[in-house]
Amino acid sequence: MSNQNSSSAPSGRYQKKFYFSRRKYCIFCKDKIKLIDYKNYKMLENFTLETGKILPARVTGTCSLHQKQLSKAIKRARHMAFIKFVEPKRG
Amino acid sequence: MNRHYEIGFVIDPEAAEEDVKKVIDSVVEIVKKANGNIENVDEWGRRRLAYSIHGHHEGIYTFITVNMKGAVFFEIERRLKLNEKVMRFIINRLDDKMKKANRLTKKWKRMERLSKRTAEEDTIEAEISDEKEEEDHE
Repeated sequence: MSNQNSSSAPSGRYQKKFYFSRRKYCIFCKDKIKLIDYKNYKMLENFTLETGKILPARVTGTCSLHQKQLSKAIKRARHMAFIKFVEPKRG
Repeated sequence: MNRHYEIGFVIDPEAAEEDVKKVIDSVVEIVKKANGNIENVDEWGRRRLAYSIHGHHEGIYTFITVNMKGAVFFEIERRLKLNEKVMRFIINRLDDKMKKANRLTKKWKRMERLSKRTAEEDTIEAEISDEKEEEDHE
């Protein structure tokens, strides 16, 4: 995407940016997971904060269809005492 | 119409092994009476809980996957609710043919088509930009 030839003037709307952030992608779409299992609680913990709050999709990059499933799976895992409910931050 | 379900429950850690077996057998009986199939009984055994339930820090986990009619759901739910040794339970569908799974497969197909198209466009754009650069240098 970037012009390696520095002498040429920047053209196009994408080249106004002078920094590049790695594009986020949905991890579940990459692995082609159809149903998210609530028993896989170690994986679910990656999508929660230390306090137990569910991370928003804009942070993790999951697609909306998977985020819906994920939030439900986390809530089921909480019910079955695999992961904690939301706790206030200590200290 | 038979569907796949997963039944999971957490039993009091102070309960004897027989009690655990009784709960499992009661579920199996109900399903078999209604012409359902038991596909798998997964006993996880004693595990630490993430938070205490009724003052207990441990629980005995079991998961049963089942192929049964939807109406049996309520019978199992009622039985598990009545049992005092069952601390928590959950029943949910496992089918790959569910709506949400279907929507995902559709989405992936669309994405594939799009990615192919964009790849073709990129190659065309790159050729055009190369030509332009050459003109600029001249």
